[in-house]
Formats: sequence, structure tokens, C-alpha cells
Amino acid sequence: MNPIYFVLTSFIELYVFIRSKINEEWPLKNSSKISEWKLMAFAFSQSKIGVFGGLLVTLFVILAIIGPLLAYAKYDYFPVVDNPDYKLLPPNSELEGKRFILGTDWMGRDILNMIFYGIRISVVISFIVIILGVPLGIILGLLSGYLKGHFDEFIMRLTDIFLAFPGLILAIAFASVLPSRIYEFLESNPYIRDFWLWIFALEPEHSPHLAAIFSLMIALALVWWPGYARIVRASTLSISEQVFIEAAKSLGLSKTKILFKHILPNIIAPVLVLITFDLGTVPLLAAALSFLGLGPTEPVPELGRLISYSGSYFPERSWWIVISVGTVLFLLALGWNLLGDSLRDVLDPRTRRAMEFKVGKK
Amino acid sequence: MGIIYFIIRRIITFIPTLLGVLLISYIVAYVIPANPVRAWIGGQRVSDLELLERIKREYYFDRPWYEQFYFLVTSLLTGTLKDPIKNQPVFQELSNRFPVTVELAILGFLFTLIISLPLGILAARFKDTIIDFVVRFLALFGSSMPSFILYYFLILAFFVATKSTYLAGIPNPSVSCINYIDGLPSTLPIPLNYLSYIIVYIGKVPMFGATFCGELNVVYETFFRLWLPALSLGLLSGGFIARILRNSLLDALSSEYILYTKARGLPNLRIWYHAFKNSLIPVVTVLGINFGSLLTGAVIAETVFNIPGIGRYAFESIINLNFPGIIGVTFLFGLVYIIVNLIIDIFYGIIDPRIRYT
Repeated sequence: MNPIYFVLTSFIELYVFIRSKINEEWPLKNSSKISEWKLMAFAFSQSKIGVFGGLLVTLFVILAIIGPLLAYAKYDYFPVVDNPDYKLLPPNSELEGKRFILGTDWMGRDILNMIFYGIRISVVISFIVIILGVPLGIILGLLSGYLKGHFDEFIMRLTDIFLAFPGLILAIAFASVLPSRIYEFLESNPYIRDFWLWIFALEPEHSPHLAAIFSLMIALALVWWPGYARIVRASTLSISEQVFIEAAKSLGLSKTKILFKHILPNIIAPVLVLITFDLGTVPLLAAALSFLGLGPTEPVPELGRLISYSGSYFPERSWWIVISVGTVLFLLALGWNLLGDSLRDVLDPRTRRAMEFKVGKK
Repeated sequence: MGIIYFIIRRIITFIPTLLGVLLISYIVAYVIPANPVRAWIGGQRVSDLELLERIKREYYFDRPWYEQFYFLVTSLLTGTLKDPIKNQPVFQELSNRFPVTVELAILGFLFTLIISLPLGILAARFKDTIIDFVVRFLALFGSSMPSFILYYFLILAFFVATKSTYLAGIPNPSVSCINYIDGLPSTLPIPLNYLSYIIVYIGKVPMFGATFCGELNVVYETFFRLWLPALSLGLLSGGFIARILRNSLLDALSSEYILYTKARGLPNLRIWYHAFKNSLIPVVTVLGINFGSLLTGAVIAETVFNIPGIGRYAFESIINLNFPGIIGVTFLFGLVYIIVNLIIDIFYGIIDPRIRYT
């Protein structure tokens, strides 16, 4: 038996078990749903690139959770101060009995160590941007596709305005405006500040950089929602013309119930695929922004900033920084992209029917 | 006649969008807590308070925000808005920098086409073979590669190691050529006059101006200067577009009219022509968006390859709190978005005659 399929089905079984504890009739009522999920799990376990992408993503999420615990030195400890020889050591070199597998940077810090911290920042940024931006886009898209009329016109003009900007430029503008406001907010709410410092594994004295990271995230979320609003609106327009929506309306269901219980589940598949792709794109854009000099500065181990700083020593004295940090960013994005590529097939009902057909013939 | 009405109607509906874009960028700039006038004339240690007051008055910073906004927009449209840091009209700055970006965008777009169209067709023809795999890989590579890292590696390979490009300056046609093109409208009779204005505007792009005067060495130098950034932009988007072309070609090939043409015994090339033409709609959409983003968003490429284009100017304006610059750039980007979308819509009609402009 395929181990991936086994893991996924046991998750499904667990969920079904929990639901049946709450309501005994649930598994019986939803048996077709459950078997469809299992078919999805089977289809996913058959796609090699999907499994590879899924494993990469799992690896990165685990690294994001435990990464800062693996790091053996603090990111704001600069060995160069004690011994200038530590500066820009090439990979696999040894100094004073310490071994640097990926070399050191201009402050003598171990690159591997910095990557452990950096992965958490990149992964958290990507999740927060999606959590902030996507629901906004989905809700506005649903409403504008369902209500039509003036509201639709207004929302579409608004997305036009946002899409007319190149995303990166708009994000630059927001990211250069926001930090001071966010800094004031964080300073007046120390509990929130400490919580996010803990999330990003930063030291308390670097809370000003937290404001820069936040402004990055909010800037990206603000440019992220229009794409989702467009897609959700287009699917909502076609779904809301169908008979089952008319039936729901004539039964007198409330608008919220129709929108979230009957329309949303029918349009969620392409949105999920897009989210998977975007989880890979956001870290790249965030790195690009901090490459341009927005976002946190020294000593926060943001991956894009590491590359932009090493750019001034490139290529003779810092190729290893660009290669190793670049590979990390590349693999993170690649994992999500591979996963999204196979999810697109798995979530497409046509693929599953074709699969059933094949199995049935055998 | 329909198409002209369509274009006019589209332009009119886009005016509020353009104003909205300007307003949003103004509001974003307005909420900056820093004092921009101080930043323009040299930071916090400014002692010449009279100068400060004069600049404040000149840019309406002592008025309420709506008057300021009105001033910025009207003086931008009349061409009198001055860039406070460069001390020349914003329009001048834009018309110096935008042609460079246009050159880069055209070359990058050419590379995108060269990479994506053949690969997409081949991947559809040889489905599930090594070519198909290469296209899939290239698409994933393009969307997973951090752009600046690709740029660094290409610089390492083609500039540092093999010296097959250079990274400074932008070739321009000779002064006599520029003067000749600028003077064209005044030498011609009235009806031809308007035609020559178009040549003047196209001639502002150094590559085209040089071609017009027959200075082919300038064209060659421009290519030699810009081929590397253009290639890297093409590599980043080419695979993705090839994959879209492949999918939509496969969809078209499995449709019933293709079965019919096969049954009629049309030659293979003819069948592929029909399928290709009908599969172009999604490709044209993505290509159009891609070209638009090349015209506006290649900030990182311009930074790494040291190209004095419009993206770089936008970035510098934002960083320096250069309000007039921000408004000017925003206006230009809004225009680009509108025109590119209009061109996409017109292309739809050329590809698929069933589409009517209403």
C-alpha cells in the first residue's frame, strides 16, 4: 500500500471519527463526500510531482517551526567583532574548531544558521499575507458576483484601480509608508508585540524591525486581494444562475447561507489551487521587496536581504551566500508550485471520474 | 464603425479609473508622516526657512489636501509639474526614462515569444514526451525562481565570465538624428504633419529613432546592452506562457471541428493552423498582461542590470518622498494598463471574428 495514501486516508478517518463523536449520523449522511475525499487522496498519491512538492512543503513548514531551535547561535551575535577572520568564509571551511558547511556572511555569521531563522520569517509572511488577503478577496468577489448592480460596478472599478498598478510598485509604496504607524501601534501594545516577536523568533530589542516586516505583509495583502476578487466573482456569476441556487432562494434561505453554504463550496477548488501557488509566490515577492531595501534591516535574517547585502561582494567573495539562500527560496517556491500543479488535477472532478473509469475497467 | 465606438467608450469608462489610481497613490503618499519638503532640500538640518516656505507654497503644501491634489493633477496634465529633486518637469523625466523601459520591454517580449510559442506548439505536438517535460519544468522554474538570483547568475555567466554584454549606459542615436526627427513636423504640409508626429513619438525610443535615421550600429549596441536582461525576463515568463499555449492547443485539438477537418482530409499543417488560431485567446490575454507588466514592473531587473528606466524612477520617487514623481509615474502606469487592455480586446476580435464590440 502506498504510504502517502495511507497517511492521507488515516487523516480522513480521524476527521470522520471526530465528527461522528459530535453527531452520530454525520458519516452516514456524508458517505459520498468521504469516499470522494478518499478518491482525491488516491489521485494525489499517484502523482509523483505532487507527492514530491508535498514533501518539500512539509519539510519547509517543519523547518519553519523548529528552525530557530536548531540554530546554535543567535542571529545578532557577530563573530567578526572578536575575530575579523570570520568575515565571508567560503563553504566547508574551518576556523577555531568550528565548521561552516555553507560558509559565513560579512558579519561572520554561519549562513546555515541564518537560513534556519530566515525560513521561519518567509513561511510566516506567506501564510499571513494569504490569511489577510484571500478572505477579503473571496468575500468581496462573492458579494459583487451575487449582488450585481452598483456594488459590483464599484468593486470592479476598485479592483481595476489596484490592478492598474504593478503589484510590486504598490507594495513598495505601502511598505515605505506603513512602518512608522505600525511601530507606534506595536509600542503601545506590548503583548501583541511580544507575541509576534516570539512568532518570528526575534530578540526583544529588534521590535522596530517587526514593524517593517508587518508593513511588508500588509502591503502584499493589499495588492493580493483583487486577483481573488476577480476570480471568485467570475465563478459566482456563473454558479448563481444555476437551478439549485434558485431552489435555495425559493426555500427562503438567507443570503449569507446561500453565499457561504451553497456558492462558496462550489467555487472553492480553483481558489485553493491559486492559494497553493501564491503561498510559493509571496515569499519570492517579500524577498524581492527586502532585496530592494524595504522591510527589515540588519540584523534580521530575512532571506532577500541576505542576498541583496551579499550582492555587493558578488561574485568573487560571496557566491555561496547567493547560491545557498537562493536555493532555499527556490525550493520553497518550487514545493508549493509542484503541489499546486498536482492539486489542480486532483481537485478537478473530471480527473477523478476518469480514474474511477480506469479502475472500473480493470 | 463598431470598433471605434468601442474604443471611445472604453477610454471614457477608464477616466474614472485613472483618476482613482491617482487619488489612491496620492492618499498613500499623503499619509506619510514625514515632511517631504524637508526631505527634498536636504534632510533635518535645513536652516533656510524662507526657502522651505517658498517650496511649500510652490507645491501647495500649505493648502488642504484636495487643493493639493487638484494642483498636482492639473499641473501634471499641463506639463508644468516640476520634479523637485531633479529640477526639471516630471514629463521631461518620464519621457527620458520611459523609452528605455519600452526598449527593454519590447526585447523582453520578443524573447518571451521566441521561447514560448515554439515550445508550446512542440509540447502539444509531442505530448507526454521529453519536450513536454522540459516545458513543464521551465514553467515551474520561471514561477519558482527568485528573479534577482537568476539575474545574478546570468551576470556571472555572461558579463563576468564571458564579457558578452556590458552593464552601463544606454546607447542613443546621434544628436543630428534626434534633431532631424524632432524637426520633422514643421517641414511637412498639414495633413502629413500629423503622421510625422507619430514618428516623433516613436522616434523617442532610441532604438527606433536610430533605425529611422539608418544608424544601425546604435541598434546593434542597444541589443548588445539589453539582450541579457531581456533574455532573463523572457526565461521567467516564457515557460508559463508555453504551458498555457500547450493546454489550450490540446483542448482545441480534441474538439469536434478538428475531428471534422480531419474527416474531410485536410493536410496536417492546415489542421494545426485552425487549432492554433482558436487556442490563442488565453495566450493573448496572458501575453498582454505580461507585456504590461514588462512596461511597468521590471524594477528589480532595472536595479540589478543598472538600466535607468521608469521602474527605477518609480522606486526612487517613492523612497525619496518625491510626490510629483509618484503622481507622474502613477499616471503613466494607469495609461499603460488601459492601453494594453484595449489592445488585448482588439486582438480578441482579430483572432475570433465572432466577438463583437458592443
